Amino acid sequence: MEHQHLPMITERTPAGRRADSGRRYRIQQSGLEILILFLLVQVASIIYGVISPDTFAYVSPANIQTALEAIPLLGIPALGVGTLMIAGEFDLSIGANYIFSSIIMAQLAENGLSVWLAALLGLGIGAGIGLLNGVITLRLRIPSFITTLGTMGIWDAATLFIHGASSQPFNPPPEFAAVTAGLFGIIPAEFLWFLALSIVFWALLHQHRLGNHIFAVGGNKYAAEENGVPGNRAKLIAFGLTGACAALAGILAAAQIGNIAPSSATDLPLQAIAACVIGGLTLSGGRGTVLGMALGAALIYWIQDVLLLLGAPGFYLSAFVGVLIIGAAAIYEQLRRRQS
Amino acid sequence: MGIEHMETVAAKQPEYPEEGTVPLLELRDIKKRYGALEALKGVSLHVKRAEILALLGDNGAGKSTLVKIISGVVPPDAGSMFWEGRPVTLKSHAEATALGIETIYQDSALVDSLTVARNIFLGRELVGPFGFMHHRKMRAIASDVLQTIVAIEGIDSPDKLVGSLSGGQKQAVAIARAVYFKRTLLVLDEPTSALAVRATEALFEYLRTLRSQGLSSILVTHNLYDAYRICDRFIILSHGELVFEASRSETSVAELTERVSRS
Ligand SMILES: Nc1ncnc2c1ncn2[C@@H]1O[C@H](COP(=O)(O)OP(=O)(O)OP(=O)(O)O)[C@@H](O)[C@H]1O
Ligand SMILES: [Mg+2]
Repeated sequence: MEHQHLPMITERTPAGRRADSGRRYRIQQSGLEILILFLLVQVASIIYGVISPDTFAYVSPANIQTALEAIPLLGIPALGVGTLMIAGEFDLSIGANYIFSSIIMAQLAENGLSVWLAALLGLGIGAGIGLLNGVITLRLRIPSFITTLGTMGIWDAATLFIHGASSQPFNPPPEFAAVTAGLFGIIPAEFLWFLALSIVFWALLHQHRLGNHIFAVGGNKYAAEENGVPGNRAKLIAFGLTGACAALAGILAAAQIGNIAPSSATDLPLQAIAACVIGGLTLSGGRGTVLGMALGAALIYWIQDVLLLLGAPGFYLSAFVGVLIIGAAAIYEQLRRRQS
Repeated sequence: MGIEHMETVAAKQPEYPEEGTVPLLELRDIKKRYGALEALKGVSLHVKRAEILALLGDNGAGKSTLVKIISGVVPPDAGSMFWEGRPVTLKSHAEATALGIETIYQDSALVDSLTVARNIFLGRELVGPFGFMHHRKMRAIASDVLQTIVAIEGIDSPDKLVGSLSGGQKQAVAIARAVYFKRTLLVLDEPTSALAVRATEALFEYLRTLRSQGLSSILVTHNLYDAYRICDRFIILSHGELVFEASRSETSVAELTERVSRS
């Protein structure tokens, strides 16, 4: 390109040292802490599970399969919510979206529409709900926290208006059930979706130009736009992706469970944010990794699983997740402070 | 880009009988109002080819506002702009960039949570066919520009987060951006306010090199000695109005000092 060499002052830092510190900085930004934490708790749980399989059936096939089915239902929405958090925005309406999109899909399918088409429409509705959040937020220049607090209520009401409070059954034909909730070997289809999406989001956020714009606009919208980054476009795409992820999770859950209970996703928005915070994302935006989002979701499920296996009452879960969120946020803050 | 259709508007072309040459950039009667405050009250100026123009004036005189209008990020309320004699309306930063205007902002617009390399290439990432970024290439170039042209101490890696840099190092990153994406007109809004002597000298040397290649710069600064050393022509703004204009041979540091402080 137009770049040229105009050597003026000789190099002062030896190239070798520069390369080393480069690696150090890249590792600091890679989400390694969460990977280490995740591996530590897994190793500990597996050892305990092997030593006393009767009291702690962690490594049993049933427990592993349940985990692989459940993690994607939080993990997929967390990928969307995390992307949006990096862009500097929130979506509290993903629970309402998850229910509304999947109920519409199930109704259409149960009324004779091709289930594939119905699922596609469900995804489209989910993405549309996300985009609408984005348009309202950016047009009216209000915080997305407020926008989506509002649309959460609106889509909850829409579900009750169109469908009511009862469960909506969903009995997909076998081919659809196979790709959404079947088993591939010992791996549930939901988990393969989650894995594939994690790779897609990794490529998008960490390798693609759009991802760079999402990080930039979340880090400093003013600076990003002064440098020619189309900030609102990046944010809108993040909103749309978040909506689509919520709808996909709703559809996978419907296929897995066989029905959709309108009240079953009230905790989803805050759990997805919790997963992202545990994964190292900041509420102020501009920072985070896809690895963190995925493992954050897996860690929340891990707490739930361990408590269940140990026979602890259900309400322990929220307390432990609460401790983990605060602890994670504090640790990341310390790490960041040491970095700069 | 959106400026191409303007080429057909030949009737509005300005004439330059006395000079004979068309300036690179000309502004005519530019006005900008922020609520009740008139930041620019009808400023006209031009930048010639291969010259370094100093834009001087007190705090709040309107220099940065003018810079932002030239770089397309702030739209003027009134007035016209001519690029190489053709009328242009800059509706975005991208349009200014497409013309050949590169800006280093006073508030050095950088994203703290991104690395040095990503900031240098922000909005102009080097990408492959599907928009995937060439990380390694961008890092290598970033390293190279920072080490050679922008002589700055302490940035040991392009992977460092900009948020962890000092004020001068941040300014160096902003300069590295502009240096790599070299254009026809470089606009620098107080680029040296946080730079050490060595880095300042390196930047000035670079501006002289650009000038010898026929490229132009606008330098906004409060350091009149620096301005006098490097600039060919001087413009002083005061309360949104152009109050003084002189070429280097017509003025002195003493006069510039007097004019700026009187305004
Ligand atoms: N976005 C804005 N909104 C409202 N007022 C503004 C805005 N930007 C600038 N101003 C006002 O316009 C006037 C000119 O500001 P400008 O930044 O152009 O000054 P300047 O000459 O660059 O000053 P300095 O030397 O301190 O950088 C100031 O009075 C400033 O308060
Ligand atoms: Mg200024």
